[in-house]
Amino acid sequence: MNHMRELVLSHFQAFLLFAAVISLAFGFLGRRQPKDRIKYILWSFFLFLVVGIGIGWAMYPFSR
Amino acid sequence: MSEETNEAVQEPVQEPASPAAKAPSEQRALGLAFAGWILPGLGHALQRMWGRALIVFVSVGLLVAVGVSMRGNIFSSRGNDAFDTLGYMADLGTGSFYFVARALERSGTDVAHANGDYGTRFLATAGVLNLLAALHAYEAARGRKA
Repeated sequence: MNHMRELVLSHFQAFLLFAAVISLAFGFLGRRQPKDRIKYILWSFFLFLVVGIGIGWAMYPFSR
Repeated sequence: MSEETNEAVQEPVQEPASPAAKAPSEQRALGLAFAGWILPGLGHALQRMWGRALIVFVSVGLLVAVGVSMRGNIFSSRGNDAFDTLGYMADLGTGSFYFVARALERSGTDVAHANGDYGTRFLATAGVLNLLAALHAYEAARGRKA
């Protein structure tokens, strides 16, 4: 089997991809109705972003 | 109204299910969870939860593919410390995809750079997510979750 081409993502791109995939899975596993799923996916994605960026900013003073 | 009449009107009380009667349901639920672990989404597909099956399959597959493409570390059973063992257990959570990842990974890991380190996290997350989905399939089969 051929090896895969290396994928290079920035921190933020990897973060967005991670948040999107996990939010989607959580939404489908956690809710049954389509409308509830969409709300849950968007809310989960939003929280991933807020918490991730928040932790990033909280660590900023210690980064140098 | 006499007690006799009362008893005649009452509906028959159902006997609680015996452990022997529960066993097939429990075994089926465990079987579905096992199927979901071996092939992501299969536990839900066998319960005709097509949307969930597809999403679990695609999510776990995508995370594994991205993790391997980013040259993340796929832990083996010959770990040096507890963290390697934990990583192995998380990676093994992807079931058959673990072996697909090992087959795809030919250029080695590169955790010296952030990209490879992110890949390692993607792979571990894929495993944990699949274990969560297998647990959900088990709970759904037991009638605890819809």
